[in-house]
Amino acid sequence: MAAAQSPLVDARNLTRTFDNGAVTALRGVSFAVAEGDFVSIMGPSGCGKSSLLNLIGALDTPTSGEIRFAGQDLREVRDLSRFRAQTIGFVFQSYHLLPTLTALENVQVPMLETSLGRAARRARAVHLLHAVGLEHRCHHLPAKLSGGERQRVAIARSLANNPKVLLADEPTGNLDSVSSQAVLDLLTEIHRERGMTIITVTHDTGVAGAARRTIRMLDGQIVADSAHAPAGGR
Amino acid sequence: MSLLTIVIKNLRHRPTRSLLTVVGISVGIAAVVALTGLARGFQTSWEDSYRARGTDLIVARVTSRDPLPTAFSAKIGDTLRALPGVTAAGGVLADLMSIEESPTILIGGWETNTFLWTHLRLDQGRLPADEHERVIMLGAIAAEVLKKKVGDTAQIDTERFIVCGIYTSDALSENGAIVMPLGSLQDLTSRDGMVNFVNMKLDPALGPEGVRQLRETIGRTLPGFQSFDASQVSQANIAVQISKAMSLGTSLIAVAVGAVGVMNTMLMSVFERMHEIGVLLAIGWRRRRIVTMILLESMLLSLIGGVTGIAMGLASLRVLEWTPILRGRIEPDASPLVLLIALVVSVALGMLGGLYPAWVGARMSPSTGLRHE
Repeated sequence: MAAAQSPLVDARNLTRTFDNGAVTALRGVSFAVAEGDFVSIMGPSGCGKSSLLNLIGALDTPTSGEIRFAGQDLREVRDLSRFRAQTIGFVFQSYHLLPTLTALENVQVPMLETSLGRAARRARAVHLLHAVGLEHRCHHLPAKLSGGERQRVAIARSLANNPKVLLADEPTGNLDSVSSQAVLDLLTEIHRERGMTIITVTHDTGVAGAARRTIRMLDGQIVADSAHAPAGGR
Repeated sequence: MSLLTIVIKNLRHRPTRSLLTVVGISVGIAAVVALTGLARGFQTSWEDSYRARGTDLIVARVTSRDPLPTAFSAKIGDTLRALPGVTAAGGVLADLMSIEESPTILIGGWETNTFLWTHLRLDQGRLPADEHERVIMLGAIAAEVLKKKVGDTAQIDTERFIVCGIYTSDALSENGAIVMPLGSLQDLTSRDGMVNFVNMKLDPALGPEGVRQLRETIGRTLPGFQSFDASQVSQANIAVQISKAMSLGTSLIAVAVGAVGVMNTMLMSVFERMHEIGVLLAIGWRRRRIVTMILLESMLLSLIGGVTGIAMGLASLRVLEWTPILRGRIEPDASPLVLLIALVVSVALGMLGGLYPAWVGARMSPSTGLRHE
């Protein structure tokens, strides 16, 4: 296990139930993620992977247990929106781009919560789209982009506010093998070159293989947690 | 790109719905502009008719609640003439009557040889020669509506009158009216020796304090009578009051319907975009920004609706002005203040209609929003 002295994410005994306790998604989950780590969370559908990712990303609150982010208990964070805007980058399986906005505008959306001026926001969005290889698709609407391109726009958007951690929920789940590999290569590159902490939920063994550590879940519990050399090597 | 870019693109994304909402608001605001313009025009037309005659004070019975005050003895005019500071006084008997095939028209019986007649510009013919001559004078618009010229006859009630002259006045309501000698109208309506109003000209040297004292004197010496200036007499008129109340009531209903329309549109929009709002919350947007976005959308729709509604209202006033029922009677008066109020009302309408949807959107948790596909 990649234990760290001061973990970036420290989850302690997390439980999450729904429908007044009728459904239990997480049963006492504890784990830590060090800064700069690349962790994949695997498991069958309904095992609690996405619920766990929502808790780490402060999209949801645990029924019990606590999450510390860089030592701070998330329960003590008064403005979770600000926390998400500054700290977390999200990549979703279905991209979740705003359909009315172009790629360039979609990347700028999170930056509206920052003090960056209009020109600076635009320049940063152009830079990020260039970084994901989509500088030629800046002015296209999501509907005019392929699945792989949409996911790359979503990754560029997730990096807009230079977050501390990138949370990806099945980032290749809707993509063909070629696009999956392109997205995987991009995540690996971001991890390697930016030292970005990445936590991804996936069914894709390719994605899990690219991570340095894989957590396996079953029925709301962690059943295995193994560090390994990424498939691409580092 | 700014928040406004997102707002505009969101509205353009569903053009039919946005357009229908704008149309709904436009109709409401157009109704406000048109009704208020008509009510104000009605009041202004009354005031103008007095101002055009150079009337400084009007005396009428205070107990009257009819559109036209209850008639009283014309001898009151003699009493008023004798008061210090009164330079001239003329009795007026007014009635609304249907003439031949035309809609109801205002007929004024004016005391001859008084200042009442001096402001009329004679286009054709002559003034009546005496108090009981069976002649009428037509305002220029009334002549056009009735298709009469000097020398023609017109059937009023049971009698025929010869058109002796056609005039133009500075007051539109007078241009759409008929004037005859006071005695002739008294004979026609069987109100011998009666008038509804006494119009008075005052000595300019009186000043505001002198006018105030004169009005007190009138109140003392003629119990049951009251004096008004031009704007007061129109405001006190029950028809003016009813028209204003109706315009206000109908406007409020139109505005309420508009607000419900905006709320309906924005609620549908929020419910359809639960997922999108969840994404925005997930990527760090604060609830305040979600509220701002939804309110801006509803206010922008309302603003566009307000501007088009004002244009529609003004256009409909122009059309109404030329309809036979209003032509020459009322000059619609859509003042800049009314238009400004309409614009403010439209934006407030958007704000009101958007508040609840904005609250619904902003209170949602991001994970709930993300579950909505």
